[in-house]
Amino acid sequence: MAVNLDHNLEQLIMGKLKYQSSNLGLNLLISRLQKKYSAGQTSAELSNCLQEMKAFFDKYKLIMTKEAEAIQNL
Amino acid sequence: MFVTLEEAKKMIADGKLLHIAADESLLEQLPAGKWIAGTTPYFITGKGGITCKDRLFVDEITGVVDFKTVIYDKKDILNITKDAYPNGLSFLVMPFASEVAVLYAKEAPNSETLFMTPIIGWISGFDLSTDANAKVYDGVKGRSYSDKAVVLHVCLPDGSIASLGTVNIFDVDEKAPGIEFTEDSLSVDKCLVNGKEVIFADYIAKNGIDTRLPLVADYNGVLVNASIKTISDGKVDLYAPVFTGKVYRFASKIDDYAASFIENLKDLKNAKPVFSCNCILNYLYGELDGKATLPFAGPVTFGEVAYQLLNQTLVYAEIVKS
Repeated sequence: MAVNLDHNLEQLIMGKLKYQSSNLGLNLLISRLQKKYSAGQTSAELSNCLQEMKAFFDKYKLIMTKEAEAIQNL
Repeated sequence: MFVTLEEAKKMIADGKLLHIAADESLLEQLPAGKWIAGTTPYFITGKGGITCKDRLFVDEITGVVDFKTVIYDKKDILNITKDAYPNGLSFLVMPFASEVAVLYAKEAPNSETLFMTPIIGWISGFDLSTDANAKVYDGVKGRSYSDKAVVLHVCLPDGSIASLGTVNIFDVDEKAPGIEFTEDSLSVDKCLVNGKEVIFADYIAKNGIDTRLPLVADYNGVLVNASIKTISDGKVDLYAPVFTGKVYRFASKIDDYAASFIENLKDLKNAKPVFSCNCILNYLYGELDGKATLPFAGPVTFGEVAYQLLNQTLVYAEIVKS
């Protein structure tokens, strides 16, 4: 994944960027990871959350390509 | 498909892989085969909502490369994500008020693997004018349960993937008081309203809140409902849990449920659901008898699952092909 996408995903997890998807699972995941990160705001937690997010994008790449592009361009 | 008992038996005899919803009296007559089921006498068919005990709602699951049925109880229900196929879809049916349903409702949203696993499903119910029990059925093993969940895990071919969606007709007034809870719970006594601790039951009574309207929280743009079941002895019992760290508001009043569904379904007319279901509270409060919600048809349920337990929501699954 591009560096900019990783950066923007981190910003999403930290709540510094906003992005609403048309995909139910992605929205629920963003919400859960924001809650998880806000409970323990460390770089290790952020890294864990980012890995979860990237695993989601990897698994659903068939329907997530446009979403990834949109987040990359935020 | 809304079919007769004989038609359902033929589909089973033909070896079709089926998800079935029907009254217990019909499900008890089905032969063993490749099917799972749950009890309900309520449906929203292509012709509209109906209470019916002589037909079954059948979804034929096609285009899968493998399948398995698994029974879970409260001790192992969270293994559902481990048992699911890497590229699959899992149909989950749990009996109303069962311990397994309560545990799933509270704990599934905290599972780190939940959103990696498309899980669609419902809470089975019963005719509200009777004292019947909700049941689920594993047609492969020829068994029924009132205290366990049944799951049909299907494996999808490469190039196909499951996608889940919801239709929630409720909205919130952002100026309405924000309500927060101090623990994840299905039964609430105290809450924080705009940061001030109050007795939740008293707050509802004092403000004349219509308890047919759910509490709604925003999950990154997805509105997730928690519906009120009963209020007694100072406790508010809910059909789905509320969670800490979320701000809830009561939904705005809806004058015409059927019209609201039509409005919310406008952008989904090309959807091709392999399964969908709608909530009994929408069916009852919205007087959806005789009113259709196309392209969605299916059982009317005592709770809906799209990854996690939802309330007063239409949920659906599609198979998307590359």
